[in-house]
Amino acid sequence: METDLLIIGGGPAGLHAALTADRAGARVVVADESFSLGGQLRQQTQWLSNLPGQYGYGKKRGTWVNEQLINQVGASNVQVLKKHTMIGSYLNGNIGVSDGDKTFEIQSRKNIIAPGAQEEAKVFPGWTLPGVMTAGAAQILINREKVLPGKRAVMVGSNDFSLEVARQLNSCGITVEAIVEEKNQIICSDGELVKTLENVPVYTNSTIEIVTGAGEVEHVVIQTPDGLKEVNVDLVCIANGFSPILEPFEIMNCHFVYQKELGGWLAAYNIHLQTTNPSCYIAGNAAGITDFGSILLTGEIAALSALEAMGFISSAEGTEQKSRCWRELANLESEKVLQARTEMLADYHQKHELDLPDYFMKIKGGKMYG
Amino acid sequence: MDKSTIVCRCEEINVDEIETAMKNGAETFDDIKRLTRCGMGPCQSKTCLNPVREIIAEYTGKPLADIRISRMRMPLKLVRMSALTNGSEGGNVASVFGESVEDGETNDE
Ligand SMILES: Cc1cc2nc3c(=O)[nH]c(=O)nc-3n(C[C@H](O)[C@H](O)[C@H](O)COP(=O)(O)OP(=O)(O)OC[C@H]3O[C@@H](n4cnc5c(N)ncnc54)[C@H](O)[C@@H]3O)c2cc1C
Ligand code: FES
Repeated sequence: METDLLIIGGGPAGLHAALTADRAGARVVVADESFSLGGQLRQQTQWLSNLPGQYGYGKKRGTWVNEQLINQVGASNVQVLKKHTMIGSYLNGNIGVSDGDKTFEIQSRKNIIAPGAQEEAKVFPGWTLPGVMTAGAAQILINREKVLPGKRAVMVGSNDFSLEVARQLNSCGITVEAIVEEKNQIICSDGELVKTLENVPVYTNSTIEIVTGAGEVEHVVIQTPDGLKEVNVDLVCIANGFSPILEPFEIMNCHFVYQKELGGWLAAYNIHLQTTNPSCYIAGNAAGITDFGSILLTGEIAALSALEAMGFISSAEGTEQKSRCWRELANLESEKVLQARTEMLADYHQKHELDLPDYFMKIKGGKMYG
Repeated sequence: MDKSTIVCRCEEINVDEIETAMKNGAETFDDIKRLTRCGMGPCQSKTCLNPVREIIAEYTGKPLADIRISRMRMPLKLVRMSALTNGSEGGNVASVFGESVEDGETNDE
């Protein structure tokens, strides 16, 4: 199989990149290991704010945005390979995918790798019992599979995502018996969301001591500053944050950097979202854990860079479009993540003796980090 | 935490086995992997990578940022032997055959 641009991962970043490249006339193939497109967006029923301008202003449900993306891809010339997993690379640098029956190489001029992020586990005695799962897994069960994961739950972690999932569990009739946070206060920054859970006991400075049960979760002991608290539940959700997926980049010989605020280790990249392998670009949560608007915009920047490198758009147009994307991203992204991202970019450009374009210096009204 | 707590769920490796590997000289995730099979399960260390890195950081007193990730190999995901051989003429999968040249290299920026 042969194409101009191969995109690995059909989540929001990959699909948005595919649409950008398709509009410029490039031949695009999107390969995703799942049997449906949309990645993690498929179960995000919550309202997303801070979307890039082209989605219209105001809040939109994640699942609504997902439908828009999938419909647009369906109406485009993008070739979609569902149930195709990237499993490796060939000596000539091409990516190898498998559909479960056979393995073949896709000859592409450029690749965008957008495999997303993974949820972090949390280790405590009993964490491997059935009934302990990540908050994301519980969300997949209720919103995608329409299956109740339990009746009574403990939520471990109090960030925006875990409280949103706690709220969703509650509205499905699952009683959230406790929220356990190891820091000294609730992490969630959304006051309204915290308010919807005001009847749920919150234990700060607390950790899970042990989870027990005969073959499944029955009993949870929480270590709190006031001593041990015990609850009888059948579901424990862990929300311990996300980290970028790494292994497709390792196989493509990309170099890695460590940036705590971007989720830990990740493939290093320059302002064009290009990794140390010149034919591989990166996009979405794999390029740093961030908000939804920035996930789409990194996809767009990666696509514009690939289009420019392949000659589908002029370098003047590439610069103009990317400068717009970065400006928009700088407005949407949280200060901490943006700072980590720009620091990493500045380090990369310095180390590889690459000039930073003028527009980078103007991000955030002339405020440049790094 | 109880030393019998499992850290690598795929291979059922507990805290004690990881610390014993370090007592025996293991310094990196890959050393622990070779000694215990920790990280060699179906998830290919997706789940246990960072919990093990935290245990290494705590045991050695090094900052977490200095604890490297494991070396990831092909195939990236579980795949049947037949799917690897069916119709895969043309080009060799770079796999273990190609990468011996890179032995000893790290992908650090
Ligand atoms: C302790 C623990 C318990 C868990 N329990 C459960 C459970 O009970 N049930 C459950 O469902 N989950 C469980 N999980 C978590 C689960 O693995 C994730 O939360 C979630 O299912 C990952 O979603 P995803 O695979 O759709 O997307 P992601 O992994 O985020 O991937 C993003 C997109 O890129 C695609 N992609 C990624 N890599 C490739 C590639 N190489 N080639 C082609 N496409 C690619 C994906 O298909 C997807 O569309 C658990 C996790 C832990 C740690
Ligand atoms: S949890 Fe260690 S290999 Fe899967």
